[in-house]
Amino acid sequence: MGDFQFARIFGYLPDFIRGVGVTFQLGLISASLGLVLGLVFALMKFSRHPLLYWPSYVYIEFFRTTPPLVQIIWLYYGLPLLTGYDLGAFGSAAVALGLNMGAFYAEIFRAGIVGVHRTQWQAARVLGLNLTDTLRFIVLPQAVRNVLPPMGTTTIYLIKDTALASAIGTPELLRIGQLVAVETFRPVETLTIVAMLYFAVTYPVALLVDRLERRFKVARV
Amino acid sequence: MAEALIAVERLVKRYGANTVLDDINLDVTAGQVLVVIGPSGSGKSTLLRCVAALEPIQRGAVRIDGTLAAKGEEEEGSGPSRASLHRLRERVGMVFQQFNLFPHLTVLENITLAPRRVLGMAPGAAEKLAIDLLQRVGLEDKRDVHPERLSGGQQQRAAIARALAMHPQVMLFDEVTSALDPELVGEVLRTMRQLADQGMTMLVVTHEMGFARDVADDVIFMDNGKIVERSPPAQMFEQPKEARTRAFLERLLDREGRRT
Repeated sequence: MGDFQFARIFGYLPDFIRGVGVTFQLGLISASLGLVLGLVFALMKFSRHPLLYWPSYVYIEFFRTTPPLVQIIWLYYGLPLLTGYDLGAFGSAAVALGLNMGAFYAEIFRAGIVGVHRTQWQAARVLGLNLTDTLRFIVLPQAVRNVLPPMGTTTIYLIKDTALASAIGTPELLRIGQLVAVETFRPVETLTIVAMLYFAVTYPVALLVDRLERRFKVARV
Repeated sequence: MAEALIAVERLVKRYGANTVLDDINLDVTAGQVLVVIGPSGSGKSTLLRCVAALEPIQRGAVRIDGTLAAKGEEEEGSGPSRASLHRLRERVGMVFQQFNLFPHLTVLENITLAPRRVLGMAPGAAEKLAIDLLQRVGLEDKRDVHPERLSGGQQQRAAIARALAMHPQVMLFDEVTSALDPELVGEVLRTMRQLADQGMTMLVVTHEMGFARDVADDVIFMDNGKIVERSPPAQMFEQPKEARTRAFLERLLDREGRRT
């Protein structure tokens, strides 16, 4: 007790900042990829066509039920063996996390779309709006607003899951922390700082979602 | 006799083994206001939804101004093409019991969306049209608010304006005052009355017998998925032909009498 030594660790500040940058980029890229995949697979899962429904079903269940760490490792070590194509550490982590998040976002989107009352579809239909316009202007805007809270939580999970990329040597925040801990022999202090930096990345996301939620609250009429 | 604007021919609608509409034949000519009355569960609303092609039908056909709008699944031959369904949507406006305005859009956006996206109207022209319509239904000061800020009567009038923005030839009204507080019913009925006076062809499902008496050209009484009787309102309410109609109207008038 009483001999926490933070001073030495502060010398590694530039490394930590670089780690935060990599974590932020990983989060941003995989969240964007996940949102696009999530939307596409959510819509596919509504289809009665087996060639749309089943790929979506398999994708969602596969990525929901296997650990993201395993997915990252598969992509990093497995993909080059199978295809000869190497995404690199950062790329493998970003794509694996994006695929993983896509499965969760898809289920959230789906719940949001189901939550838009069918009378909204009918109102759009009698006005002559086609499927694309109905989704774009009527259903999706309401669906997204309905599911902002779970979207926010899932996104925060994702940002924390970027720490798994440390397992394949991506120089993100946790990886930097591990290296600093080894050099300074101060793992507890180092990880405390790492945790605070994760908080600094994720908390603004939580605040942003809160704000969006208040701004876009859908009235039930 | 003029060609019917709405022609329903031998329509059968079933949910599973339950026949909801049983061999319905119905013609509405241009400019006519037809009011459909009957006990709940008689199939009135389903009939309207079939005319709007919101429900698949099992037998028979629905034509709007000669264009096939719906065809029984059990009939030979193909149903309406996507293109003809699309043209139909532009010709038929529908107003629902629960208004069904788009809650995330303002009143103005609710009205301009379909003219812009379906008719390809320029934003400025669509807005001008919407403002004209809002004036007609007395909501010009509500253009920029969201539906949640409106009373039920105002929402329903906005929904009527939204449907009119597509310049429909036919308007369908599905119990549009049933969800309203009694003091708000009048303003919606007045709007509908105006519309009838301007010559709009209307098919109206309602429990408002006063409206039926004053505005309808013909009243239809439905029971158990069948059209029991079609008569001008004076005859329907004074000397209905069928015993079932008499019984229904007596129950209704009895209830209304007790209410006052």
